[in-house]
Amino acid sequence: MRVPLSWLREYVEIELSPEALAERLTLLGMEVQAIEHRGADWRRIVVGELVTVEPHPQSDHLLITTVRTGPGEPLLTILTGASNVAPGQHVPVAVPGAVLPGGRRIEVTRMAGRESQGMLCSGDELGLTSDAEGILILPLETPVGAPLVDLYGDAVLDVDVKPNRGDALSLLGLAREVAAVTGAQVRWPEIALSESGTPTAEHVAVEVTDAGLCPRFVARYVDELDVGPSPLLVQARLSAAGVRPVSNVVDASNYVMLELGKPTHTFDAAAIAEGRIIVRLARPGERLETLDHVVRELTADTLLIADPRGPLGLAGVMGGAASEVRDATTAIVIESAVFDPVSIRRTARRYALRSEASLRFEKGQEPRLARIGADRVAQLVAQWAGGRVAPGRIDTAPVEPAPRRLPFRPARVVRLLGAPIDAAEMRALLARVEVETAPAQPGDAVRVAADMPSVVLDAEAAREALVAIVPTHRRDLEIEADLAEEVARVRGYDRIPGRLPETPMPEYRPDPRRAVDAVRDALAGRGLDEVVTHALIGPHDHERLGIAADDPGTIRVTNPISAEHSQLRRSLLPGLLRVLVENERQRRVDVALFEVGHVHDLAAGEPREQPMLGLLLAGDQAGAAWNQPPRPADLWEARGLVDALCSRLGVPLPEATVPAEIPPYAHPGRTAQLRVSGPDGQALDLGRVFEPHPRYLEAVGARSPHVAVALVSLTALQAALPRARRYVPFPRVPAVERDLAIVIGAGRSAGDVERVVRDAAAPLLRGLRLFDVYRGAPLGPDERSLAFRLTLQAADRTLTDEEIDAAVAQVVDALATRLGARIRS
Amino acid sequence: MDLETISARLAALEEAGLAAIRGAADPDALEAVQVAYLGRRGELKTLLGGIGALPAEHRPQVGAIGNRVRETLEAALQVRRAELDAAALEARLAHEAVDVTLPGRPFRRGSLHPLIETNREIARIFGQFGFVVYEGPEVETDVRNFQALNIPPDHPARDLWDTLYTDVPGYLLRTHTSPGQIHVMQQTAPPIRALLPGRCFRYEAVDASHGFEFFQVEGLMVDEGTTMADLRGLLDAFTHAMFGGGRPTRFRPGYYPFTEPSVAFDVQCVVCDGLGCASCKRTGWMTILGAGMVHPVVLRNGGLDPERYQGFAFGLGTDRIAILRYGIDDIRIFLENDLRFLEQF
Repeated sequence: MRVPLSWLREYVEIELSPEALAERLTLLGMEVQAIEHRGADWRRIVVGELVTVEPHPQSDHLLITTVRTGPGEPLLTILTGASNVAPGQHVPVAVPGAVLPGGRRIEVTRMAGRESQGMLCSGDELGLTSDAEGILILPLETPVGAPLVDLYGDAVLDVDVKPNRGDALSLLGLAREVAAVTGAQVRWPEIALSESGTPTAEHVAVEVTDAGLCPRFVARYVDELDVGPSPLLVQARLSAAGVRPVSNVVDASNYVMLELGKPTHTFDAAAIAEGRIIVRLARPGERLETLDHVVRELTADTLLIADPRGPLGLAGVMGGAASEVRDATTAIVIESAVFDPVSIRRTARRYALRSEASLRFEKGQEPRLARIGADRVAQLVAQWAGGRVAPGRIDTAPVEPAPRRLPFRPARVVRLLGAPIDAAEMRALLARVEVETAPAQPGDAVRVAADMPSVVLDAEAAREALVAIVPTHRRDLEIEADLAEEVARVRGYDRIPGRLPETPMPEYRPDPRRAVDAVRDALAGRGLDEVVTHALIGPHDHERLGIAADDPGTIRVTNPISAEHSQLRRSLLPGLLRVLVENERQRRVDVALFEVGHVHDLAAGEPREQPMLGLLLAGDQAGAAWNQPPRPADLWEARGLVDALCSRLGVPLPEATVPAEIPPYAHPGRTAQLRVSGPDGQALDLGRVFEPHPRYLEAVGARSPHVAVALVSLTALQAALPRARRYVPFPRVPAVERDLAIVIGAGRSAGDVERVVRDAAAPLLRGLRLFDVYRGAPLGPDERSLAFRLTLQAADRTLTDEEIDAAVAQVVDALATRLGARIRS
Repeated sequence: MDLETISARLAALEEAGLAAIRGAADPDALEAVQVAYLGRRGELKTLLGGIGALPAEHRPQVGAIGNRVRETLEAALQVRRAELDAAALEARLAHEAVDVTLPGRPFRRGSLHPLIETNREIARIFGQFGFVVYEGPEVETDVRNFQALNIPPDHPARDLWDTLYTDVPGYLLRTHTSPGQIHVMQQTAPPIRALLPGRCFRYEAVDASHGFEFFQVEGLMVDEGTTMADLRGLLDAFTHAMFGGGRPTRFRPGYYPFTEPSVAFDVQCVVCDGLGCASCKRTGWMTILGAGMVHPVVLRNGGLDPERYQGFAFGLGTDRIAILRYGIDDIRIFLENDLRFLEQF
């Protein structure tokens, strides 16, 4: 809320500088986000008196004026295009060298052959009023020659009023906060009406169909008024507060909204059929043209102000165009009501019409303000627009609630705050925010939470307790803890001393991120860069993975920022590739990245999220150097990293198989499924390593021909972690190495050979390493020779040649019978 | 042959042998000299083969001279061999010399993302005070994200969080890590000291200080006697650990529906040290987190009796802490993943 200090001073004495006041309010919880010094940019703008006003001989739309800007100052000749000027008026004059808001410089100029020594300003040019047509005519008592900034300059505080403090969305409310800080007295505006003519009830009738949605409706009637501009001071105040001045009647309503925090509405009385106002819900098919000249189809849960003919306005949100106060209006009905906050909030959102009024209504309104607001608007209209205030009000709920009694235990306040504050100090602190206190009685009930049974005080507890008498404007003070905050707030949060806890420690709990951090550390140690990409990606990203835009397994955002970020990612792949593409654009083509993040989908109708590791390698992995050949990223590089990661974590090396189904984004001949066995021997699907399909790379715009990816389930990896690391004694006897060149035909894989060898040589095999792959003569066209080195060792003895030969023979035999493989000698 | 003759020949042989040894230019030549003089058919053996022709009384004398000559030659051989070895090694070393200013073999350095590392650092600091890590889901229910936190539907405080909703009824993208408070209280009995790091989402226009995806760390401490003074003490300790000791902090009222009293926690601007700059909007202070005493309704929704238990919660913006920690001026850089940025961590 924008708070012009000169206006705030109407309601409370302020001796602090704007900056000091801002800091005090901030420390009280009314955060001042900015201080605007209005008029700071009115350089060399002074009050001038028009001495002569004559037509320009060569132009029929220009006037030549002479202006006096102080005793002893030479008369200035100034030309103006405005027609509302006359000798004797006082006006704002921008003298040569002046700068207007927005940086516009004023110099001596020539217009239609005559010199103009400055400019007469309109209210709009100064940001003081909204009138851009005529020159701003200042009151005659305005001293000639005075700088305008001394008269109309102001400091405007931008206060961030929190949603629970609707009462402080007003000058009066903030004056109360200032008073709490400085100890000054709050001055209410004097509200006095002189009523005359026929009683209000003869002009207006009000019928509320659902008192739940409109607990109170107060109406007043003013006639014989003259619609026109408001006094300059009022326009300047409204402008400074960010509200555009419109007319004396509308301004009166807005002025009261800012002054008291009470939104009201003024209707042209002539537009209300039979003078009958009906507050009701909209009927199907009803329409209303609102003040912004949009015709709206009304839904059935919209609360309306209507007359017997139909809707007049959206209650609490926006009036209707047909009943708007116009220049010709001579009689008005003032509506000052209380509406159900939820209903107003829903209506404002539904029609995307969030106004200053709806903002206040949806935070809840103090019932008595309905009466006070109606009177205050009537008073100001009468003052500014003339007119006659009809005697009496229409009021659907004239009984106003008494202040709430809120028992509380000072000891609990101390226990919550951890600061020693005695009951007497609490009472004094609360009194500064108009909360009086009284001793509690046995049977008084302390509200610990709004929707919980209260704690009833017995005689002994009552002796230690107090009752806060909460003024009706403090709707936010509802429970004991609210009073604790109020005590701490007025006393100053900064006076709460810090200390380290002395309470019991919680039980030990293993850090759930430990395994993930171990993965991250291991990969960063291997030289990979960690990235964090968006969890929200676009339908195109999914479509390229082969997941249709409307796939039922995808979770979509119903109100996305943009289509590009409208679906929760089901894979880390698109994000990783985007990082590659972006870096390729910066000519960084050799990359090794990883990301740890969640992927999302729907499983049995419920959202499911799974932690994943994605790693992406592209370009040269060796690091271009004078002394080493490049090593382009490939499937095996990625697989090797996964292997290294597993062995670092104590997980058995995963086994690769050709997946039954290759996803469309993966190279059909370069995709492996990884399986690993857990500590209980269970087979775990660890994920995939692959090179992306060239078409996929092309579609996402990646240029590198060498890209490899691993997508690993961290759930599976965690499940595969050993429960404990146990030392396994290693044999101290010598090991023997035997090399076998195993020739396999089409349809057989290295994985097959490895499985068979491990199987057949099981008890003695300590190590198995593929060290060469050969194709070509003298092998058959579909044949490959895989050279493995077997390391054989017994736990307790040196193997004899016979044992070794027998073991190798067993392997050769198994290879022959199970894979049709032979040994190349 | 008589004694003199043989003695003279031995002397001559010794001299010639020593000369040959000195003259051997490499190990092969030296080997040949050794064979020629000291070998089985070498000159010394041959010469001493004639010893039988001497009278018996001279034989020991000649034998002694012969032994001395052998020893002399062997010693000379050894010396020469060592000389040649040393020379050969020197030659090899000279040959092996390289330009030592050539660069080392490039190893990829690797890096950890500053946001995740900042989360880890936050957890490490609070871990010293007994806080343990929990995790909550990114896709949350409206109930846990709002209602259980004392924010009913249509509550005006909902405006504080611009929410991204999903097409799964009742589910949204968590707007803060605060629903974790409910998760923790429902699965753990006090005393509770919990941290919940995680990714959050809001409907926000992206600019230098806002993103629609960002990271937070929620803290929760509940037992029978945790006070606002404990909150302040811990936040001060955290600030000093993260930004250096002695940096002033400020405790002021804030507003959250799920805490009462609510707190905004400021630290003296780390850019200008409180003098006032653009980063702190000339106030000299930067708000780094929101906090407060857990609202009784939230305690109750977590299954705890608010008459017995009390405590605090706070929500730290990881991005904000990371910005201040590393001197970053635009949070968009975190999710851009430009290698020139990542390589600095």
